[in-house]
Amino acid sequence: MAAEGKFERIERLTNECIDMCRTMLHGRKHLEALLGPSFRTHKLQRAVNEQKVAVKEMEAAVDRILTAVEGMSEIDFSDTAAAGEKVAAGCGEIMEACCFQDMVGQRMSQVNGTLAEIESTLAKLAEGQAAQPASPPQESLLNGPALPGAAMEQDAVDRLLAGGKGKR
Amino acid sequence: MAVDMKMPILIVDDYKTMLRIVRNLLNKLGFTEIDEATDGTDALAKLKGKKYGLVISDWNMQPMTGYELLQKVRADDGLKSLPFVMVTAESKVENVMAARQAGVNNYIIKPFSAEVLKAKLKTVLGDF
Repeated sequence: MAAEGKFERIERLTNECIDMCRTMLHGRKHLEALLGPSFRTHKLQRAVNEQKVAVKEMEAAVDRILTAVEGMSEIDFSDTAAAGEKVAAGCGEIMEACCFQDMVGQRMSQVNGTLAEIESTLAKLAEGQAAQPASPPQESLLNGPALPGAAMEQDAVDRLLAGGKGKR
Repeated sequence: MAVDMKMPILIVDDYKTMLRIVRNLLNKLGFTEIDEATDGTDALAKLKGKKYGLVISDWNMQPMTGYELLQKVRADDGLKSLPFVMVTAESKVENVMAARQAGVNNYIIKPFSAEVLKAKLKTVLGDF
């Protein structure tokens, strides 16, 4: 009798373990869209890199703006012509530095796209629906700003336009 | 032939900051007639309604990209000879080649300096 009770408990525990494994496997299947290399390598890693680069670009832009403002605050206005030139140069520096908003905005759009994909997959998982596998990255002419080291320089662009070969 | 500094220029970008920057740089170079559009569709409507001497356009915009705008401009008998400069962060060889094939007059990579903009405009328009 006692042995029979033990067998029943073992059988019940075994069935519970099997159920747990099934649930875990089921969950993993639902998360496959986020676990595949096309998502982790191409999108998630890129989003992480885009965010790091965006922070650096913002720091560089603010540094450039502050340097220009500091330079202008030390201008000697006793020579008005020279002072005017220095003010114009400082304004030009600030104007160029403000390009960072466009670059950072485009990088953050990439990060937002990746976060939206994760949010959508998790929402489907919570609702018990199977998520669609992440689609492999498509060749596109809309890629946004390149990451450092991957961008083509203006000189290379000029050579390409002139009919020569560009070098990244 | 001298460049007409009063010729209307259309700048196209979906970032208002970039429109302001390019407008200010053009003003600094001496150009005074500058209009703005926020994507290709908006730009095309403006190009059909007024005679411009130059278009300076971003690439990555919705619903119509700068590249699509360039193709439409080159396919339009009334606009096909309009000087068109792309100013974009898209810096892949494929992008430059596609723009070149579509008939772009010059291609500037963002972020750019006032000096680069001036040099490229001189290449397209002549000395000013």
